[in-house]
Amino acid sequence: MDEAIASELASGALSLAKTAGAQSAEASVSIARRFHAEARENVIARLEGSTGKSLFLRVFHDGRKATLSTSDLSTSGLREAVGRAVAHAGLVAPDEYAGLPDEVAANGAELRLTDARIAERDGSEKVEEALDLERLIRAADVRVVNSSGSHYTDAVGVTAIANSTGFAAAYSWTRAGRSTGPVALDGEIKRIAQYGTSARHLGDLEAPGSVAATAVRRAVDLFGARKPPTMRVPVIFERDVAASLLDDLFAAVSAANVAVGNSWLDGHLGSRIGSEFVNVVDDGRVPGGLGSSPFDGEGVLTRRTPVFERGVLRSFLYDTYYARKLGAASTGNSTGGGVGPSNFYLEPGSISLPELVAATPLGVLVMDTIGFATEHASGTYSRGARGFFIERGELAYPIDEFTIAGLYPEMLAGVDAVANDLRFDAPVVSPSFRVAAMTVSGN
Amino acid sequence: MFDEALLSRLLGRALRHGGEFADVFCERRRTFSYRLQDGRIHDASYGVTLGVGIRVVVGESAGYACSDDLSTGALTEAADAASLIAHGSPSGEMKSVDLSLQRAASYYDCRPADGIDAERYVAMLDSADSAARRYDPRVVAVNAHISDEVQEVWIATSEGRLVRDCRPLITLGVQVVASDKKERGSGYVGDGGRTSMAYFDRETPEALAREAARIATVNVSAAPAPAGEMAMIVGAGGGGVLLHEAVGHGLESDFNRRGTSLYSGRIGERVASELVTIYDDGNLHEERGSINVDDEGVPAQHKVLVENGVLLGYMQDRLNARLMGVESTGSGRRQSFRFAPQPRMCNTYMPSGDSSVNEILASTQRGIYAKSFAGGQVEIAKGDFVFMVGEGYLVENGKITTPVRNATIIGNGPEAMMKVVAVGNDARLARRHYTCGKGGQYVPVGVGMPTVKIASITVGGTQHG
Repeated sequence: MDEAIASELASGALSLAKTAGAQSAEASVSIARRFHAEARENVIARLEGSTGKSLFLRVFHDGRKATLSTSDLSTSGLREAVGRAVAHAGLVAPDEYAGLPDEVAANGAELRLTDARIAERDGSEKVEEALDLERLIRAADVRVVNSSGSHYTDAVGVTAIANSTGFAAAYSWTRAGRSTGPVALDGEIKRIAQYGTSARHLGDLEAPGSVAATAVRRAVDLFGARKPPTMRVPVIFERDVAASLLDDLFAAVSAANVAVGNSWLDGHLGSRIGSEFVNVVDDGRVPGGLGSSPFDGEGVLTRRTPVFERGVLRSFLYDTYYARKLGAASTGNSTGGGVGPSNFYLEPGSISLPELVAATPLGVLVMDTIGFATEHASGTYSRGARGFFIERGELAYPIDEFTIAGLYPEMLAGVDAVANDLRFDAPVVSPSFRVAAMTVSGN
Repeated sequence: MFDEALLSRLLGRALRHGGEFADVFCERRRTFSYRLQDGRIHDASYGVTLGVGIRVVVGESAGYACSDDLSTGALTEAADAASLIAHGSPSGEMKSVDLSLQRAASYYDCRPADGIDAERYVAMLDSADSAARRYDPRVVAVNAHISDEVQEVWIATSEGRLVRDCRPLITLGVQVVASDKKERGSGYVGDGGRTSMAYFDRETPEALAREAARIATVNVSAAPAPAGEMAMIVGAGGGGVLLHEAVGHGLESDFNRRGTSLYSGRIGERVASELVTIYDDGNLHEERGSINVDDEGVPAQHKVLVENGVLLGYMQDRLNARLMGVESTGSGRRQSFRFAPQPRMCNTYMPSGDSSVNEILASTQRGIYAKSFAGGQVEIAKGDFVFMVGEGYLVENGKITTPVRNATIIGNGPEAMMKVVAVGNDARLARRHYTCGKGGQYVPVGVGMPTVKIASITVGGTQHG
């Protein structure tokens, strides 16, 4: 992958925008080569490898903004599309906050975004890795009778940005992942689990044996699961599920939602919302982090922003537009077209998950949830779930086909313990944590 | 747009190491979209998706490669990458493929991508905004968007079929937030379909906006939802999300061929109450999930999935149909040229039964009435599904009473469908705004249903007791 090619495409689009009459513009280009092997039993079910390019352009004219995204980077195709985008800006209402950022900069130092070994890796070695994972899940437990597939994926890419103030920068990145979905037979019932690992460096991936063992354990530990009674109890969210709550929390602190009335945190800056255990950070500069980058989607330097400190809401997360609109400064969270997380996480505590379970006389440990419709305006949370019933600090029996529900303001205030199992295997991550009381709905 | 001779050569090249079949999927999609917030047009965007995906199928294996570079060199490289899945005939003898253009029935009108009236779209968003704000003083924010796309596809297969489809898709969505200082609530309504702007002369932006505002204001004053098992009445139209999650995904042939779905190997068995019949149709006029041909070039069909409670068939794409010894049902769909096709739903719905809505209500002492849904999800191995209520009410002594806040409902596919005790005579398709995600690919779908009563299901609210 060549940063120069991406930079050239970005600056070419920029000149087309100027020629078409834009007063200012910004172009981002991403080029990535992606690989995906899926194995099932001893067969390669899927083998995919492609290089893809895409361009994202923002043009500004008299405070009016229009955008273009295209995979057609041919000269004629691009000229036509850029012309259309510029003409399009005329339909938009003038907006005093629209425009390029005041300050742009790039700093890739210490970010560890690439692993040269990923680009050099032989195709057959990667295929073998997927097949190996498939063998490992079947060897781990005789009750594993099937799988939804075992996967190895990787990507090698470059991202370049250029804007009409003369700013231009580019960086390279890599990513790899392995995952598996064993199916175990519990009488007539099929129990499936999904588990995987993802990182910018091969060396940071969880080992295949450990991925297989965890995936299989998650399927077979649910054997004999039953519906719990309906009750109000403490709920522990295992770290992967906890991360999905952090996704919701990100939506609530995203200035794009706050500005349009779609966040229950609107109007609460500086207020105590959570318990003392609620320390949430957005950090675009975690070394090797999947959400790390030298600059954000509009060329603003990435940084570390404390969002909650001991439960107090310190900052929303902004791009340039919403920062201007809400009277703040960009936190380097632009995705180009909106506001997104960099590495957004809850800071870990000091006890392990087993210790946390042991410290819970009665409650529920949630291992997995389904559903997604959090109502962000009110902070209403509700999900289907499966996991374990906890009695006297022990996992008493597995449970499934129940729901958990609560209101985010109460849930954050009720966080009363945080585990030490945080790892940066996705842009939004969390350690396991416990909420003092939620409604579990079952029988 | 795409040269027939080149497509033919690419198919030969893709199969030079062997394989049962190959296909080349060419796509050009143009999308115009406009977004309103704070009472003004905030953003106008234009998107172009242009590229080619090449697939080689060998037994249960598929090799896939795509290219957004349309040069002969880049496409040949993609054909070579896709061919790596096959290990036979390394000498690389090229087969020649003679393509002939096939015609398919048409369920919607193609139109030029750039023939849109952007100013009128912008005016429609403005009307939606004022209609929502006029509806109730508690409306504090209106976010609306409209998108208009035309996806043109050309599919060439190694059997010599060349098929073209041109798929328009319009969506107008209005999200309204209402607040009474203490509580907030939101409502969303979307509509459109494979149609033209004229659709919104009938379903006006003002009416859609008022409906979204009505839901938002209902949700502001809604009580916490109950928790526990109770009867559920599912509203006509959007209630079809229930079928999509509880049954539909489990009948997609990839899961069944692999034996990972709880419906695997159960054709001919009772999987639902005998009141339950479920169709999946790709050939409904202008519906969001309709396709003239699927993304493997197979014509869209009417499929009977479940009839009077008995499982009759799966939704098949070419790869899985071949391995299961049946024909494709025209269910092979993909998000774009960057993805290989998967078996997917089109428009999934249940036809009318015999009960009147009044009878259904009158038979219910205590329960929840789920009038509309915000979405759902299923885990296909065990069959547990959830769906999220967008607008819901308590049912007490045969009457719809207090509105309740957004709750997740959880059930198990066959268990819940066995408990269907009444099917209304008011079947209709939902407003056209649903998008289905599977394996990282998103495609537009439709759902529909009459009013249906399920004897008991778990409601995931916060009010216990």
